[in-house]
Amino acid sequence: MKRGLLALSTLSLALGSAWAAKIAIYPYDGASVLAGQRFDLRVEASELQGSPSTYRITLDGQPLSGFQQTSQGPGQAEWTLRDTFIRVGEHTLEVSVTDGTGESKRSAKWVARANPRLPRAPKNIILFIGDGMGWNTLNAARIIAKGFNPQNGMPSGNLEIETGYGGMATVTNSSFDSFIVDSANSASSIMTGQKVQVNALNVYPSNLKDTLAYPRIETLAEMMKRVRGASIGVVTTTFGTDATPAMVNAHTRRRSDYQGIADQYFGRGGFGIPLDVMLFGGSRDFIPQSNPGSRRKDNTDWIAESQKLGYTFVSNRTELMAAQPSDKLFGLFNLDNFPSYLDRAVWKRPEMLGSFTDMPYLWEMTQKAVETLSKNDKGFFLMVEAGMVDKYEHPLDWQRGLWDVLELDRTVQWAKNYAAQNPDTLVIVTADHAHSISVFGGYDYSKQGRQGVGVYQDAKFPTYGDRRDTNGFPLPETARGIAVGFGATPDYCETYRGREVYKDPTISDGKGGYVANPEVCKEPGAFLRVGNLDPASAQGVHTADPMPLFAFGTGSQLFNGLIDQTEIFFRMAQALGLNPYLEKP
Amino acid sequence: MRLMFLLLLVLGGLGWAQSPLEFSELYGRITIRGVEFSPKLQALNGKTVSMTGWMAPPLKPKLDFFVLTKVPLATCPFCSTAADWPPDIVLVIMPPGRAAEPTTRRIQVTGRLEIGIKTDEDTGFVSLVRIYADKISEAR
Repeated sequence: MKRGLLALSTLSLALGSAWAAKIAIYPYDGASVLAGQRFDLRVEASELQGSPSTYRITLDGQPLSGFQQTSQGPGQAEWTLRDTFIRVGEHTLEVSVTDGTGESKRSAKWVARANPRLPRAPKNIILFIGDGMGWNTLNAARIIAKGFNPQNGMPSGNLEIETGYGGMATVTNSSFDSFIVDSANSASSIMTGQKVQVNALNVYPSNLKDTLAYPRIETLAEMMKRVRGASIGVVTTTFGTDATPAMVNAHTRRRSDYQGIADQYFGRGGFGIPLDVMLFGGSRDFIPQSNPGSRRKDNTDWIAESQKLGYTFVSNRTELMAAQPSDKLFGLFNLDNFPSYLDRAVWKRPEMLGSFTDMPYLWEMTQKAVETLSKNDKGFFLMVEAGMVDKYEHPLDWQRGLWDVLELDRTVQWAKNYAAQNPDTLVIVTADHAHSISVFGGYDYSKQGRQGVGVYQDAKFPTYGDRRDTNGFPLPETARGIAVGFGATPDYCETYRGREVYKDPTISDGKGGYVANPEVCKEPGAFLRVGNLDPASAQGVHTADPMPLFAFGTGSQLFNGLIDQTEIFFRMAQALGLNPYLEKP
Repeated sequence: MRLMFLLLLVLGGLGWAQSPLEFSELYGRITIRGVEFSPKLQALNGKTVSMTGWMAPPLKPKLDFFVLTKVPLATCPFCSTAADWPPDIVLVIMPPGRAAEPTTRRIQVTGRLEIGIKTDEDTGFVSLVRIYADKISEAR
């Protein structure tokens, strides 16, 4: 009898939980934030029987008020508290919602960290992101740039990225909703310390329909500007509203909200904290829809508006180099992405450049950005992205991708020198995710197709550097190169060679599937590689492989060992001694 | 031979003068302020032209229009949020009641040229250059 009662009560418990409403809390259970870091607190109840009759939300046992209650649909209720923060220490948020079937409960534990101001703390951060630059990508770029002494096999040197650092780490990453990341949520983790959904920028999940209204979490750059009055900026070789540049101050569930992201750059939307320096491509999101080529759905003209707001506007390399900006600089250098370094500096094919023949190098944009931002004695945060590395790894065009790493390396060399002369500056070089790239042999370019691949002793040594371009970079055309492949691919034809006019490796079959590009398969030595990805894939993909991190200057010693990507945020804040709870604007 | 999935549409008006048009001739200049139509394109507006290119991945199941591109493309910009069209593309509108058949082969499109910004209501697709097709055939 006693046993029967126990079974019955267990059954009713199980049934009770099946009927109970579901409750979600954001920030999520287990979140770490900085004390004083702003966020939107959101509680969502679903599968409610009728409307909730009562609800109770407490923080550390004390009732929290000020929530806006909404309902996105039948059986749903939400409570939102915008723009809040927590004090240092451990906290518990408890939620109780009562509906027709009874009470449902959920709690979330959060930790708010605080940082002491160190006597020798940097006030500036230059964060370099090699998009898609995993360890293997960096390694391949070093082999091309430095190579080996063929007399004894010793490596002939390291990249600038890999030399003279004060801290070095291997970084892992993951998403809120998957263990693979995209550039948007991975960038968000670096900038907020949170796990974020794939394709989302600096927001928590929610059931909202308006992607721009999702619960926001303040970024490091936004905090630096809000509490310290620092200047913030973005430099990249992709279109300006792309996911990685958007890490600095954009907040949206959908990285393709290009117009909304462009507006947030100027302080319209999000937390309303504008960027001071923007140098990138993708003008189509900043010109009115009446201009052919615009991607906007309104007639906002940010080229004209920016100048009214006090930005110096430049549109090519000549104008950039001549500019004498006061403290705000806006540069658009292409309608879309920049062509790759090899297209701009070496091959210069009109098919690839079009009318854009006067574009700045990444190091020129970075210098001008720092020159402008450093006029603010309260400090600055600058994110510099070599964005086309990833854009060309996706279609397996490793030559274009790797030479863009060399362009990044030249840029880091300049930034290291800047940090050496300005010891209040911390320089970090890392990636947002890896690709499945690997160097497995040498390649003899006097041969074709698979016959050119040499492994083990037949790999010999690459001869890159026998000829160099005007910037001193090795030319891709040489006698012996590297054999490079990707672990995860669609169907495509391999030739082991680059091509001066880009071709997609895989094209649509017009019926929802993809096939190897027949134009590539016609090239000498080409052979078909059947893909190992879903047949609906047209390109290579991000991987779970680890990424490098190198840090230079004051605070660089904090970056050490094997760390999760969210930790980059906390260690940058620690280096700055940033305490948004105590520091007052 | 599965070539017959290619649509052959021969409507009235055979023998009209048709001007060949290359993708490289579409725009005079592309600047950060947008694209400028070339003098040749402007002169041909409203006239019959023929262009050769590739059918891009379909935007929607029923192909009453499709995008013609200079080179074969992988990306379906409406399928993948981050992808982008190259600027030199042409929207091909099928005659009323006719649908295009998907193909990976190079095709030649003949029809009336129209230029200027136009937004498709169903897909939101913004086009700058359109051909109202009379005839679509496999390119030689």
